[in-house]
Amino acid sequence: MKDTRGLEERQLDALKEVANIGAGHAATALSQLTNRRIMIDVPQVQICPIEEASSAVGSGSGVVAAVLMHVLGDLTGRSLLIFQKDCALQLSDMLLNREPGTTKVFAELEQSSLKETANILTGAYLSGLSDMLGLMLIPSVPSLAIDLCAAILSATYLNFGHDRSYVIILDTRFRFEPGDPGMSGHFVLLPDPSSLNVILKTVRLG
Amino acid sequence: MREFVPAGEQRIRKAEGILSVLGVGSCIVIVLYDEGSRLGGLAHVLLPDPTYSSQSDRRGRCATTAIPDLLDELESAGAERGRITARLVGGACMFQELVSESQSNIGERNVDAARAILAEHDIPIIGEAVGGGRGRSIEFDLSDGRVVVSSQGNSDVEI
Repeated sequence: MKDTRGLEERQLDALKEVANIGAGHAATALSQLTNRRIMIDVPQVQICPIEEASSAVGSGSGVVAAVLMHVLGDLTGRSLLIFQKDCALQLSDMLLNREPGTTKVFAELEQSSLKETANILTGAYLSGLSDMLGLMLIPSVPSLAIDLCAAILSATYLNFGHDRSYVIILDTRFRFEPGDPGMSGHFVLLPDPSSLNVILKTVRLG
Repeated sequence: MREFVPAGEQRIRKAEGILSVLGVGSCIVIVLYDEGSRLGGLAHVLLPDPTYSSQSDRRGRCATTAIPDLLDELESAGAERGRITARLVGGACMFQELVSESQSNIGERNVDAARAILAEHDIPIIGEAVGGGRGRSIEFDLSDGRVVVSSQGNSDVEI
């Protein structure tokens, strides 16, 4: 199974639904944390060669704050929570009860609050999946990087892939509403290839 | 003219224009330049060697295959091998705390592989911006052979 052409339409739909459930839970958590309305787009499922993976999520040349966590348990892979840089700064204002526009840099406190947010949101994403699929899922500790999106994505796929030929991406874009286009980010699940089959089996399409 | 080189690909140019890569994380970028003919090439490589991937046909993906290809390409375009020098950029490790000790990080292995293959071909490395925890962007100016590296939170450096 090298690309989405290898998946049947109904399998793709099932994966989108899985991403939608996870992202829906995470969006609800983010909404409660920030007291804002959060909208999510229709999830995108991609299976692409690693060469293309660095541009598969968002715009590769934008600076983002990204939190990576391992996913362990019945399903293995990684989760990546990506905030546009402006969004991460404004989010820090909200989380730390500051006047909007106060946070200018990601110092220790800001970084720690972003990691804690990722803990909560990824926890919500995974518990959504867990309830839906009946699987046990455990997140690892979070790790944060603030960098160009392309660098973050390629480093993620290259460091942790098993077969480093292609990558499976369940990407759901979220945005704050009402808000400017910069107030957005992505919930990304990167299941290992063997775990893709686990997901498809639990929804009886594998 | 500025040309961006995507991952897994390589380009050569002569005497004018800029070869650029945005957002190099664990990947490694190899810049080769022959000052005499002002021919230069840039390879944007993802992995050390083909054993890391089940598709061995993509030569631009790995340092051990991409570097000899780029050298050959430069030579057929008129570069003199004895004059070619190399610069290396990339090989960062961005999520250090999640990389287990047993699997030394891929960025480091990319750097090691690139150095080894360049040594094998007797190509001297005259500049490096490698390792660390931050991604990098590169501009290789063919008009004078200068390579400028930029990185989030740091000022630009020339290597």
